[in-house]
Amino acid sequence: MSAPTNDTQAGHAVEQSKFGLYIEIAMLLAVITGLELVTVYLPFMKWLLVTVLVVLSTVKFMFVIFYFMHLRWDKAFCTILFFIGLVLAGGTMWALLKLFGAEASKPLSSAMMDPPAAVLSVS
Amino acid sequence: MEALAKSDFLAKEEHPTKPFVLWRPTAKTGLMSWLTTVDHKRIGFLYGASGLFFFIFGGIEALLIRIQLAVPNNTFLTSAQYNEMFTMHGTTMIFLVVMPIGAAFFNFIMPLQIGARDVAFPRLNAFSFWTFAVGAIILNVGWFMKDGAPDAGWFGYAPLTTRTFSPTHAIDMWVMGLQLLGVASIAAALNFIVTIINLRAPGMTMMRLPVFTWMTLFTSFLIILSFPAITIALVEIMMDRLFGTNFFEVSSGGLPILWQHLFWIFGHPEVYILILPAMGIISEILPTFSRKPLFGYPVVVFSGASIGFLGFGVWSHHMFTTGMGTAATAAFALMTMAIAVPTGVKIFNWIGTLWGGHLTMRTPMMFAIGFLWMFMIGGLSGIMHAAAPADAQQHGSYFVVAHFHYVLIGGSLFALFAGIHYWFPLMFGRRVSEFWGKVSFWVIFVGFNVTFFPMHFLGLEGMPRRTFTYDKNMGWETGNLWATVGACVLGIGVAIYFATMIYTYYKGERTHKDPWDARTLEWSLPNPPPEYNFQAIPTIHARDSWWYQKRHMAEVAKETADQIKADEAHGGIHMPFQSIYPFLASVGILVGAIGVSIIDPANPNVYHGFWGPKIAITILGGLIMFVSVVLWSLEGNEGYHIHLNEDGSVKGEDAHGGYASHGH
Amino acid sequence: MSSTAAAGAIDHHHDPTTTTGIPNKKLLMWAFLASDCMFFGCLISTHLIYRLHPPPGTLPAKQVFSIELTSFSTFILLMSSLMMALAVNAIQKGNLKSLRWSLLTTIFFGCIFLGCQVYEFRNFVFEKHLTITNSILGTTFFTLTGTHGLHVLIGVIWLTGMLIYSFTGRLGEKDAIDVEMMGLYWHFVDIVWIVIFTAVYLLEYL
Repeated sequence: MSAPTNDTQAGHAVEQSKFGLYIEIAMLLAVITGLELVTVYLPFMKWLLVTVLVVLSTVKFMFVIFYFMHLRWDKAFCTILFFIGLVLAGGTMWALLKLFGAEASKPLSSAMMDPPAAVLSVS
Repeated sequence: MEALAKSDFLAKEEHPTKPFVLWRPTAKTGLMSWLTTVDHKRIGFLYGASGLFFFIFGGIEALLIRIQLAVPNNTFLTSAQYNEMFTMHGTTMIFLVVMPIGAAFFNFIMPLQIGARDVAFPRLNAFSFWTFAVGAIILNVGWFMKDGAPDAGWFGYAPLTTRTFSPTHAIDMWVMGLQLLGVASIAAALNFIVTIINLRAPGMTMMRLPVFTWMTLFTSFLIILSFPAITIALVEIMMDRLFGTNFFEVSSGGLPILWQHLFWIFGHPEVYILILPAMGIISEILPTFSRKPLFGYPVVVFSGASIGFLGFGVWSHHMFTTGMGTAATAAFALMTMAIAVPTGVKIFNWIGTLWGGHLTMRTPMMFAIGFLWMFMIGGLSGIMHAAAPADAQQHGSYFVVAHFHYVLIGGSLFALFAGIHYWFPLMFGRRVSEFWGKVSFWVIFVGFNVTFFPMHFLGLEGMPRRTFTYDKNMGWETGNLWATVGACVLGIGVAIYFATMIYTYYKGERTHKDPWDARTLEWSLPNPPPEYNFQAIPTIHARDSWWYQKRHMAEVAKETADQIKADEAHGGIHMPFQSIYPFLASVGILVGAIGVSIIDPANPNVYHGFWGPKIAITILGGLIMFVSVVLWSLEGNEGYHIHLNEDGSVKGEDAHGGYASHGH
Repeated sequence: MSSTAAAGAIDHHHDPTTTTGIPNKKLLMWAFLASDCMFFGCLISTHLIYRLHPPPGTLPAKQVFSIELTSFSTFILLMSSLMMALAVNAIQKGNLKSLRWSLLTTIFFGCIFLGCQVYEFRNFVFEKHLTITNSILGTTFFTLTGTHGLHVLIGVIWLTGMLIYSFTGRLGEKDAIDVEMMGLYWHFVDIVWIVIFTAVYLLEYL
């Protein structure tokens, strides 16, 4: 199952087999996923748990893009290009959630739609 | 220069892949040559011709609107017809006129400005055009159907566009048409980004790029980052309409305001998509006709980038009156005011370009100076909108209509008209008559201002937009009558412009190379440019590279000779093969789109279960598209090589442009 | 200078015919993924917006979701990403046999993921009574995860096509860029799921 490896490239860093590295990262990703699953059952404050979850998923995210997707070894422009989309999407999401979370954007509750009888009887 | 080193990323010609099933098209003339073309110049021409064709549609829709509004309580159009008119006028002008004409210039001019032979993915480029054509068809087929054309505004607000309030297929066609135009635009924009980043001639650093190419790059980024928002919005409304989901269904907790947010997250960058190419064209024309380099090139480029970036942060200024709350309203008002700064900076730089220059008042220059002034007026009314309290009066009134027509006609359209005049000699080898060009400019200029300037006052006096008539004691009659008269004059001006172009295309005076003594690389080519663009890919030494080349002819001649020798040593000039698959894939998309948006769902009395004509036709379209894409990917992208004679003609090509032999 | 295949040594990360050295297809795919970030960003935003003020009477998501199943399918998708990375690694060394096995396992894991999604959807519809039309939660959940699933399906079809092509004798080391491009798409689908797993599932349990 071994084909001749081409590590006699002229003029750039030798392409070592990344096989071992990829396996390690995959194990790390699996462990982090397990950690996330455990985190939701911990009895801590919501804000802390949310932060931990966000950090853990960000770590997984970064490992996949920088290692599996090879950004670490590619030209920086690819990273910049992707991060433009990522940052814009994140910023848009943040702005939308702030907009819809604002007091002024709360949907009218059904209690307001059908006023209680006491209000109706005053006329 | 290793410009034509055999790339490991293109399949080797020694083992060309045999195309499955269908043949390798080689027609250079006739219908097949157009259906299978991958030449960026031809594709640009197709976009331009389509844009100008739909301009007639959009213009007629506008004139019908103006006739209806000429007098109070008019009965020329019914309210339903009026709704179709203003919807289709807006949708057509934005998506089927300004964007395609912009795309025409991106396609034709940009590769020539960077010293490339074509775009990075020629077949994808063709696919973009054909999918655009399909989108245009779907948008307009309603005119010929009982259901009518789309009629819920170009912005399609929910819940008007839900099935409850728009039960016919008109809105389905609007949604589907826009979705396909989005696909086409994104594919094209991805192509242009890769081309500009990766296919520049040696020595063409980013800071030596012509400003038009920079604006192409920024516009492409805006397209790929803003269209997904409307894609999602359209998916959501389509799911509500087809499957009864609850995205905008209030009784189940849906929030129609979400449509507005998603639409304008797209919609605001969209207006920068409409104006940045125009700014790029102006940035080429002003230096040429002032015989001076662009003033403050790095600042103009940086301002373009800022406008693009900030454009993503202002969308809710279209929603100031929706009750978002003080903090949100203030934030968006501030951002909107901020975006005026880079825009103003550009205007000052253009004025700086004119200042002290040797001005040559040819027609493109007149449209360009007209742009400066008219776009500025539009910008000023825009700043007035940025103040949210003032906008409470202006929103939904004719003041807004005046604002955006000043920036879209006075801005985008003037620049596109200028560009058509300017690049006509390059594209077709003929010079447009100065006299008729100037006549068309003045009639358009006068007509345009007479139409839209009164609308500022109409808006401040309370006339609402999107309403089919008005009563006679509102004080709006004079303004409307003037606007209609102006619209007719504008129509005449546009007709003169069109007539001049068409006449020039067939019978215009032939012109020599570089008639304007211009500055950028596209003018170094013969007019019209040959299929392969450059005899030898040039080496770039400075900004305004053609200007440099004209003053260093000996150096250029030597570099050209060396490059030609190098190309010959590598086997000649590499050209991409033509292909039918982009066209076929779009045909599949057309069939599928008809299935989704036009065919009625199965009548349960006739068809049992899931299957019916709607599903069948949609699946059939999907299959045609899938098979075409598979064959496309199996076709291989190796292309063929050509060799040139001394005079630039292709060896082995007969006089009719056919091929004496394949490959080499 | 010109790195032709003379010594059998293809430089898979540098294309000398492009201005930046980045292969065109790689640049295209990264630009597309930037665009797809906005696409999924808006869709995930829609879901999260509708979770801010759920209408009264909405099923609590915790009661509907099965976090164990979803954790399992997340793990499966992450492993499929590993297999994909190994596939690209293999073709860059010209190892067709290794490529085929890696592609096959990627497809296999992708299908398991899709199977889990189908199982989950059926469970939600038939047993938990959450459908795409009967509530806003159902609408946003099924549309978001369904769109992601569609992306996975497209990926599986692409992978299968590539696997079949690898048996025709025409796929070789020179085509590594095509496999790499496909790999980027597949990994992206995975990272979108990482975000969805946290934002849609895990957050409901807090």
